[in-house]
Amino acid sequence: MRVGLGMILLGAALIALSATAQTPTAPSGTDSAQPPAEPPGAPPPAAASPAPPSPTPPSPTPPSVTVLGSQEVQGILGREIRSTADENMGRIVDVLVDGEGRTRAAIIDFGGFLGVGSRKIAIDWKALHFVPAAGKKYGIVLELTRDQVKTAPEVKDGKPTIVLGASGNLESLP
Amino acid sequence: MAEPACALPHPSRRSLRGLDWFIFLVADLQTGFGPFVAVYLTSEKWTQVEIGLVLSVAGLVALVGQMPGGALVDAARSERTVAAVAVTLIAAAALTYALWPVFPAVLAAATMHAAASCVLGPAIAAISLGLVGHSAIGERFGRNARFASLGAGLSAAVMGGVGYFFSTSAVFFVTAALLGPALFVLRRMAWQEIDPERAHGNMPEHHIHEPPIDVRSLLTRRPLLIFGGCILLFHLANAAMLPLMGSVLTTRSSEWATVLIAACMVGPQFVVAASSPWIGRQAQKWGRRPLLIAGFAALPVRGLLFATVTDPYLLVAVQLLDGLTAAVFAVMVPLTVADLTRDTGRFNLTQGIIGTMMGVGAALSPTLAGYISDHAGSATAFLGLAAIGVVGFAAVWLAMPETRPAANGAEDARPGTD
Repeated sequence: MRVGLGMILLGAALIALSATAQTPTAPSGTDSAQPPAEPPGAPPPAAASPAPPSPTPPSPTPPSVTVLGSQEVQGILGREIRSTADENMGRIVDVLVDGEGRTRAAIIDFGGFLGVGSRKIAIDWKALHFVPAAGKKYGIVLELTRDQVKTAPEVKDGKPTIVLGASGNLESLP
Repeated sequence: MAEPACALPHPSRRSLRGLDWFIFLVADLQTGFGPFVAVYLTSEKWTQVEIGLVLSVAGLVALVGQMPGGALVDAARSERTVAAVAVTLIAAAALTYALWPVFPAVLAAATMHAAASCVLGPAIAAISLGLVGHSAIGERFGRNARFASLGAGLSAAVMGGVGYFFSTSAVFFVTAALLGPALFVLRRMAWQEIDPERAHGNMPEHHIHEPPIDVRSLLTRRPLLIFGGCILLFHLANAAMLPLMGSVLTTRSSEWATVLIAACMVGPQFVVAASSPWIGRQAQKWGRRPLLIAGFAALPVRGLLFATVTDPYLLVAVQLLDGLTAAVFAVMVPLTVADLTRDTGRFNLTQGIIGTMMGVGAALSPTLAGYISDHAGSATAFLGLAAIGVVGFAAVWLAMPETRPAANGAEDARPGTD
């Protein structure tokens, strides 16, 4: 399931964050456009450094175990997203990853009232910021406003996904 | 109150008020379901595949269950008990959603809700007919539509607020909590006044205790088939309009979109509430045909305006036309069915047949509109829906006979068959 993979990667990304200073090695070099308002900043999604997924050796070595505190990592499916202007941007319903397992986009269910008029749109993973708000709650902030998101086309099965980038422009995922 | 077979019924004020409030509360109970279930399950970390499966199963049960549901109400001797069981099941389904959002439980709850809804709709119409009889039913259905839409409008506003300020699951707790008052007002209706013979579409002043007519002869009645076809076309044209308009609105307006969609859902309900008793009275005075034609005419007009108007605030005004159409259909569907099933003992089964046609139209509508809108844009989709509305309008105009019985009341009441 691609969502599960997305969440694990998010967890991995957050570990990298708490361990800090692991220089964001750069398969995605476009992180410079982050607003300074976000204290932790968005870690690059390719922070799979803690446990290199080597092909399982035949020897019966026990698998390594990592303990993640409930403060450190969170599931994101169904989680509400706010914009930088603190508008409600809907909920994450799915996460898209590419062939290497890198998270590329989040699908959010946006707009509507009592379920009428909402639609699913894809936003660039890099436009999302995961903010461990002080205390127990954990916020996801989208670096776009409702005004920028409102024209995004709906995600449909069997069609190329149009992803809304952090600067508000549309790009097409193959 | 042992009623002599020839007298017209004189229900007490208390029973009639009880029915008003029961209808109001049932509309409240039903608001928390519908598209909102998908929003709630999403917030409970459900994947889209599971949500889609639950909604499809529920939709299928709601469609297939219509006729058995109606037949059940026709067979029941106490419509009141049937209604009580149905609302209890619906409240239980709401509570299951809120407390236990795991797949098997939610699937069972959704199935239970759909099945109970299939029974509850006919049961309410049957109670109405059992209370007031055919001679006063037009006005009564008008009143029913008023209280149903007041309930739906108010609770959409309240539950939208509850969902926004508290949590999505709070909506289902509110829904379940409405069971108490609903059962209370149901108990206040005097069961002796609900004549089961009348409730099944018989007229005790004409015949006493005849067996219900053969289902096959019911299905070959031309006016019934024409009416069913018109209803199918109506829902095929109508059901997708609001959701399609809602998604158009969210692309045009940003901060007000939610409020505007809420207005589009609530506004027409108040139009229905204001106009439906009047429509019920005029249906007795003018006959059914002029009103049905007017209700159908508003539909293509609305489609055309949706296709051409771009200002989001004007769209909300256009959506008020929906209230007019909805008022006509809320009164005319049960009324026409009551007309066509006089002395048959099959009033509720026939409601189920018409309900199935309604369901087929409403189920195909979003698929059709979505397909056109993907390939040719939403304006074309609205025009396509409007064109279907025109076909339905022509069908009513050309083929649908007047079903109002010849003389209003006692002497002759031939059902419109030949």
